[in-house]
Amino acid sequence: MSAPTLAPPAQPPVRPAAETRRERKRRERLEQRDAVIPVELYGLRRGTVTALTTCCVLFALFILAPVAWVIINSTKTQANIFESFGFWFASPFEFFHTFANLFRDIDGDGTYSTWFVNTVLYSVVGGVGATVLAALGGYGFARFEFRGSKVFFGIVIAGLLVPITLVAVPLYLAYAKVHLINSIWGMILPSMVTPVGLYLMRTYVELSIPRELTDAARIDGASELRIFFRIALPLMVPGLMTVLLLSVAGTWNNYILPLIIFSNNTLFPVTVGMGLWSQHAGNSGDQNLYPLIVMSGLVTIIPMVALFALLQRYWRGGLLLGSVAN
Amino acid sequence: MSETALQPCAPRVVAPPRTPRKRYRRSAYARRRGRSGLAFVTPFMVIFTLFMIAPLGYAIYQSLYTTKLIGGTRYSGFANYSTVLESGDFWNGVIRVIIFGGIQIPVMLAIAFFFATIFDLGVAKWGGLFRAVYFIPFAVPIVVSSLMWGFLLDPAYGPFNRLFSAFGFQNFNWLSPNLMLPSIIIIAIWEWTGYNAIILYTALKSVPRDVIEAAILDDTPLWKIILRIKLPLVRPAIIMLVFINTIGAMQLFIEPTILNNYSAGVVTDTWTPVIDIYTTSISNGEYQLGAAMAVVLAVVIIAISVASLAFRNRRREFG
Repeated sequence: MSAPTLAPPAQPPVRPAAETRRERKRRERLEQRDAVIPVELYGLRRGTVTALTTCCVLFALFILAPVAWVIINSTKTQANIFESFGFWFASPFEFFHTFANLFRDIDGDGTYSTWFVNTVLYSVVGGVGATVLAALGGYGFARFEFRGSKVFFGIVIAGLLVPITLVAVPLYLAYAKVHLINSIWGMILPSMVTPVGLYLMRTYVELSIPRELTDAARIDGASELRIFFRIALPLMVPGLMTVLLLSVAGTWNNYILPLIIFSNNTLFPVTVGMGLWSQHAGNSGDQNLYPLIVMSGLVTIIPMVALFALLQRYWRGGLLLGSVAN
Repeated sequence: MSETALQPCAPRVVAPPRTPRKRYRRSAYARRRGRSGLAFVTPFMVIFTLFMIAPLGYAIYQSLYTTKLIGGTRYSGFANYSTVLESGDFWNGVIRVIIFGGIQIPVMLAIAFFFATIFDLGVAKWGGLFRAVYFIPFAVPIVVSSLMWGFLLDPAYGPFNRLFSAFGFQNFNWLSPNLMLPSIIIIAIWEWTGYNAIILYTALKSVPRDVIEAAILDDTPLWKIILRIKLPLVRPAIIMLVFINTIGAMQLFIEPTILNNYSAGVVTDTWTPVIDIYTTSISNGEYQLGAAMAVVLAVVIIAISVASLAFRNRRREFG
């Protein structure tokens, strides 16, 4: 195709190409400083800042209490989890012993490490699939009008109101007919349906990709697919990251669907496995399931917290998208 | 528009015969673009139809049948629905989740708005750090947070109870029948405040700065700036959050199911509608009745959403 090379995107905030990490940090800090109106201007009394900071600290303690509890108690024996004070350590130090037990099937319910691998598989494949479908669909609804486009979009929006848990039971019935019970696809494919993701992507395309840009490319003779991949997609990255993170987290946290469709414990995600453990822990005799539950809780939350912390820059702006288009 | 005005790279103009009763002539260009648009949305629509529309349709279909030991599966009209509508247990569950949402959502949004405002104004130290900390629970699966809170609130051994008994409240049982719902409200506030606060914070950030500066120059007191200027400007975000949280609250399932393992027997089989649906259709195998319950709950949720939407539109007309 001999289309003349396209001008780069109509200059969204120009950024020096070779900006190092440190320079970026510095620029962001300066931008942030300029964006905030200095506190003195509000005419606050002295001590207000201290009082409000104290409020923030108290709420942070409330948020961190369970996390601290899990970290501390992952080092304890079952007896100590119950007998010793919850917010301090107690010997013996059992962390590594309990951690090793995550790779064993302790009481016949299944092995944590298997569940963890399953969870990663379901969330990554489901999340990536959801993002791809939402990106294509969102772009399609934002930039094209075709017969039925309004109706289709309306149906998708109505889907926002349909609780996912309500779809789980009928899915189970349908799966029984088509042999998708105890199949990983029975878990992954429904995880790819994100009306929210599609809605976010459509809003994102409308707000951040100038129509003139795609139209110009079209007049220059670029095919629709080429326009999508070469022009739209690079501009959609922040929106894509938001949808990806939200759908990965959604699948990672999903409980009711896998609970219903899996009866084979080698297919469980961690949520279902841990739920089963907590059901059995009370009457499991001397198998000591409680330390395992605490340890698996710790191991389950670390990857997600790390992922969200690392990718903060990308998702922060994206979460709001849903509300600006109205 | 002429047929050939905008046809860059000589497309196949073999337009398939569309429906004969076309109301207006679409140019070949428009048709071709329409086909591209359709191609973009098809993958999503296929999966969406298979895994959302079809199951819902199947649930509605199933809900019209009844399986009996003698006679097998028969069409029974609305028999299942009248069973659901007359089931006191089911509606008690619905009322319970409405009470749950009715308390949890306003309290949580108030706390979230409070902190979002603090972060936005920059009137507390270390705002960025607190924002990151408050968001942590969003990354914790609800099963895991329910398990953690179960340990913390455990009536016999939990650290909170020890603190309470140190202050003289002996035998304070967070997970007793009376306190189960308030405890779950606290857990839900723990789980969702950060997420809501971040969204409100982002919304507050987009309030134009000159508006606030003008207000400051007029000597408007800070509380007025917050409640009279900022709050109305972030109303779309608040409405979206009310929606999302309401739909979530109506589906309360994981927290009570997990907490029941710490305090057996408090959470009955019909405690919330989704627990009811789960036990009816999966544990008891009465799919058709469960499907009818699912449809009724969906209708309740949609009715609440539409009602609040109508309320919003009316407010907008007069205000």
